[in-house]
Amino acid sequence: MTAQAAAASHPAHARGPFLERNFKYVIVAPAIFVLLLVGLFPLIYSLIVSFQGLGMIEQDTSFQGLLNYKTLFHDARLWESIGHTLIFTAVALPIELALGLLLAHLFLEKMPGRAIFIALLTLPTMISPIVSGATWRLLFDHHFGPINQIIAWFAGHQVPIIWIINPTTVYPAILICEIWQWTPFMFLILLAALSNVDKSLLEAAELDGAPYLTVFRRIVLPAIWPVMSVALLIRGLDLMRLFDIVWALTRGGPGTMTETVSVYTYLEGFEQFEVSYTAAIAFLVIFLLTVAVMWLLKRMEIAR
Amino acid sequence: MADLKIKDLHKHYGPVHAVRGVDLEIPAQEFAVLVGPSGCGKSTLLRSIAGLEDVDQGTIEIGGRVVNDMRPRDRDIAMVFQNYALYPYLTVYENIAFGLKARKTPKPEIATRVKRAAEMLGITPLLERLPRQLSGGQRQRVAIGRAIVRNARLFLFDEPLSNLDAQLRDEMRGEIKRLHQEIATTMIYVTHDQIEAMTLADRIVLLRDGRIEQQGRPLELFERPASRFVAGFLGSPQMNFLPGRLVNGGGARAVKLADGTILPLPAGRWGQLAAAHDSEIILGLRPEHMSRAQGPSAPPGAIRIGTTVELVQPTGSRSYATLGLGGQPVVAELQAHDVSRPAEKLELQIDLNRASLFDAKTEKAL
Amino acid sequence: MMRRRAATRLGLRYLTAGAVTIVFLFPIYWLFIISFKTPDEIFAFPPVWWPANIQFANYAVLFKDGDVVVVWNSLVIAGTSTVLAMFFGTICAYSLVRFRTGGDDLAIWIISQRMMPPIVIVFPIFLLYVWLGGVDTYWGLVLLYTAFNLPYVIWMMRGYIADIPIELEESALVDGCSRWQVLMGVVFPMARAGLFATAVFTFVFAWNDFIFALVLTRTEVVTYPVQVTHYFGGQSNFWAKIAAMSVLGTVPVFIAVATLQRYLVRGISMGAVKG
Repeated sequence: MTAQAAAASHPAHARGPFLERNFKYVIVAPAIFVLLLVGLFPLIYSLIVSFQGLGMIEQDTSFQGLLNYKTLFHDARLWESIGHTLIFTAVALPIELALGLLLAHLFLEKMPGRAIFIALLTLPTMISPIVSGATWRLLFDHHFGPINQIIAWFAGHQVPIIWIINPTTVYPAILICEIWQWTPFMFLILLAALSNVDKSLLEAAELDGAPYLTVFRRIVLPAIWPVMSVALLIRGLDLMRLFDIVWALTRGGPGTMTETVSVYTYLEGFEQFEVSYTAAIAFLVIFLLTVAVMWLLKRMEIAR
Repeated sequence: MADLKIKDLHKHYGPVHAVRGVDLEIPAQEFAVLVGPSGCGKSTLLRSIAGLEDVDQGTIEIGGRVVNDMRPRDRDIAMVFQNYALYPYLTVYENIAFGLKARKTPKPEIATRVKRAAEMLGITPLLERLPRQLSGGQRQRVAIGRAIVRNARLFLFDEPLSNLDAQLRDEMRGEIKRLHQEIATTMIYVTHDQIEAMTLADRIVLLRDGRIEQQGRPLELFERPASRFVAGFLGSPQMNFLPGRLVNGGGARAVKLADGTILPLPAGRWGQLAAAHDSEIILGLRPEHMSRAQGPSAPPGAIRIGTTVELVQPTGSRSYATLGLGGQPVVAELQAHDVSRPAEKLELQIDLNRASLFDAKTEKAL
Repeated sequence: MMRRRAATRLGLRYLTAGAVTIVFLFPIYWLFIISFKTPDEIFAFPPVWWPANIQFANYAVLFKDGDVVVVWNSLVIAGTSTVLAMFFGTICAYSLVRFRTGGDDLAIWIISQRMMPPIVIVFPIFLLYVWLGGVDTYWGLVLLYTAFNLPYVIWMMRGYIADIPIELEESALVDGCSRWQVLMGVVFPMARAGLFATAVFTFVFAWNDFIFALVLTRTEVVTYPVQVTHYFGGQSNFWAKIAAMSVLGTVPVFIAVATLQRYLVRGISMGAVKG
């Protein structure tokens, strides 16, 4: 049956109870209503509040124009936090991808006990990111954390690295925690994608004697790209809103060195109570992100 | 038991005009087969009757009532799908009882009707099994059982045998025919297989590009096709089509083939050709109307011609020889043990009483 | 020779797999082991790799202090929001798949909602909840988690529903089912595997969430991730409590994943890959 026929096989009937006639709308309504509440409302409300002057000191609800947005553009700390976020994303994402690919290849062929390995490797992803951050704080502790101890074994002497305070090691610490937690995610997706590559293509290439790197570039990569791009999009967006791990490890410190956009926004809104300013940030992010993601998704859906 | 009347039905799928003005009347208890090549609109027509598709124009009447706006469940029809559509998580019993349960039929009555349907189809021992434990033929029986049990007034079949292998198909065909004899409900059956159409139908409705090309009793379509399309669709191996001209030779009408061969037509047929003179035509000859010449002379209306054998394909019960005639290959039916070989000469006897003639431009029968 | 080579390869693979697994599981091991240590062992240097005795004192403290209620809170909130999101999300997905309601644009808008950073959502929602009295309530968090999980559920179930042969639904329609009966009686049973997989991930997301809970709870309805951060002090951290509470919050997820792991590959691959 054609896709057209499949989609059309539930025609509307002029007679019959209300539920039948409007079935497709009725069942969509509750979900859409809730989504509008949580999707549209913040957008509009942020917009309105961002034009006001609600802050820690003043409680001015009159129209302030674009004052908050102007402040936004000149806020160095905000732009720095965006920079930090981009660094995290730009470093973690490729590493997670590369490690995920390697792991996926390791487990691609069947082997006894494979399912157990895979199930065990899934565990880091199942933990709350806060717990994950807390765990690594424990591990990185310079007094009684095992990491420094393990390094000491290799170095031969004590190496008291204060991971979460030393400016040099703070980024690696956060990155290690993040990569540890989310590489299994990429691994699972890539494993599934690699398993679905048409075996006959690979066999033909093997008969032709092509080296694996070529096979990977020419055959495997194009085949897994649709899935891989979705995974990269999801992980990339997740990295852009990094909060829990940073909060648990450094709270954005030392100073504001590891502050991400989410951390900064939280502090502005819930510790500084700069309501209108935070609303301005919130509105911009929601608006820009919705447009960007919808455009991106539309491109990808069309490609699919 | 209801009759079906379709008036001027149109259905579009976006730019595609799938059904173009179909008028059809099926009397109650008749077995009608909608047949035609892929894309001819037969499935669309069937699904419209079921109510699974909206129609753009025209009316559908079942038992005298216009059903266009009625939901499928209110039309009192039963349907058997190509892929059986059995619920994998229900037993055979529950599958058959599904519709009755949905209509809140009381349990004892469900039990009686399901058991009766199962007996009719010979699947009583399977009632507690799950669909995945059944063979293809058994699954199809369950699907039919689910349709029977509802005592609907109209049965629809959407290519139910297409997923079965050849042997099973023959067997199930007979079962369906027997079913119709037993419960005598109006049945509309869609298939692309002309053998199913010929063997099952009281009435064949041959569709092409959304229109009815011809309808009638099977033998009628077979022996008096209204167009070249109908003639070529029914019959296996396919009818041979030879382009030629109608000529007059000494007061007699004849067909002159592309390579100059002249085939005089029997006198009895000259009457229908009164209008067409010296026009381009297509001569249609079925393989079974051509054979190796035997006996002293050709019977009246038949003609003998020398040909060369190109290919022989034995099927066990008969042999099909591809020969050269009129400058092109034609297939003729020979006896099973006929020992023709390629490049041999063969004297071919053609029964021109049974030949079909079509206008070359309109492709309609003359 | 081929068999020798294949055996060596397999051996190397197991070796690598083992090493990788140890590296990835070590932090989890460490967390668990801390929860069983005495304070001396926790703060010992060099670190104690295996405690002298496994002792449950840390857990006992949590029960005694009543902190364990947060696990219950998490269970109620995550469970309720999962059920709601699964139900409304699945029927919505059905409409999107079978009726193409809203076309591509609606589907894409729904999915894009999943991509929002929680902080920008939670801030206006917090203001709204202050006004509505939803802060520090069960329904407040349940509503938010339901809303945030709906896009994921809809996206995943779209794929699973599309895999159901449509003849099953059509047959039910002809046989006498209403649309609602078809949805409940045919679609839901047929999509069972997908429902499980999606439900697990939906639950885990709500269960593990921190930032929504951080903003929207105060004292009444604390969930376990927030409770863990309460043990972080300015001067010292109650590592024993942190570890024990973390384990309490993590073990249920591990159990859920272990029991349903065969459904999960598709769940994690986002339905982007068939089967």
